[in-house]
Amino acid sequence: MAQSVLLISRQAPWAGIAAAEALDIALAAGAFDLPLSMLFMDDGVFQLLAQQQPQILEQKDLSANLQALPMFGIEQLYVAQQCLSERGLADSSLAIEAERLDDLQIQQLIRQFDHVITL
Amino acid sequence: MTTLHILNSSPANTAQLKSCLRVLSVGDGIVLTGEAVQALRAGSAAVQKLSACEHAYRLYALQEDVQARAIDTAEMPVTLLDYPAFVALCVEYARVNSWT
Repeated sequence: MAQSVLLISRQAPWAGIAAAEALDIALAAGAFDLPLSMLFMDDGVFQLLAQQQPQILEQKDLSANLQALPMFGIEQLYVAQQCLSERGLADSSLAIEAERLDDLQIQQLIRQFDHVITL
Repeated sequence: MTTLHILNSSPANTAQLKSCLRVLSVGDGIVLTGEAVQALRAGSAAVQKLSACEHAYRLYALQEDVQARAIDTAEMPVTLLDYPAFVALCVEYARVNSWT
């Protein structure tokens, strides 16, 4: 039985390579049928923002990779509700469907996994 | 089914400690390493945050990082670790969450 992994992505897509690397981990895990779920929290929630134009900063557009997650079998996507609220994104429509969790639900989520990777 | 959270950055510079405390389950452990040990400095904002929910977790810190920064932990409910103790602690918990 494969070990389950929760991947917590905490960095904005424009702030270095952590966000891109987290997505690479998720897609690789999906390609090998590993049970992986992803949680976006802190500035990581900015990855879900629609209508970004990272090419202006000569950066790669991560939204294509995000859209690919369900195709790779990564369907459990979560986002920290309070982190959205703190950043003025509480009512924003997101670029990809993710279940909004409060802090208590995140505590329970972490306990369900064999491993946690935070990037 | 508890988690050991390993922190490594200054609580004054990043949201690591704040976010960790937010998603911590009762019985989890926190290990302060590197600049994260600044959270033990008496009178700091971080130490108040830590104290506010100290019933919920067990607190550890790497002894060499504490000593190097001249932090007095006599009044803090913290267990100081050397590296062998750190390794032993990691296998005690069901999972390790290494915050970056």
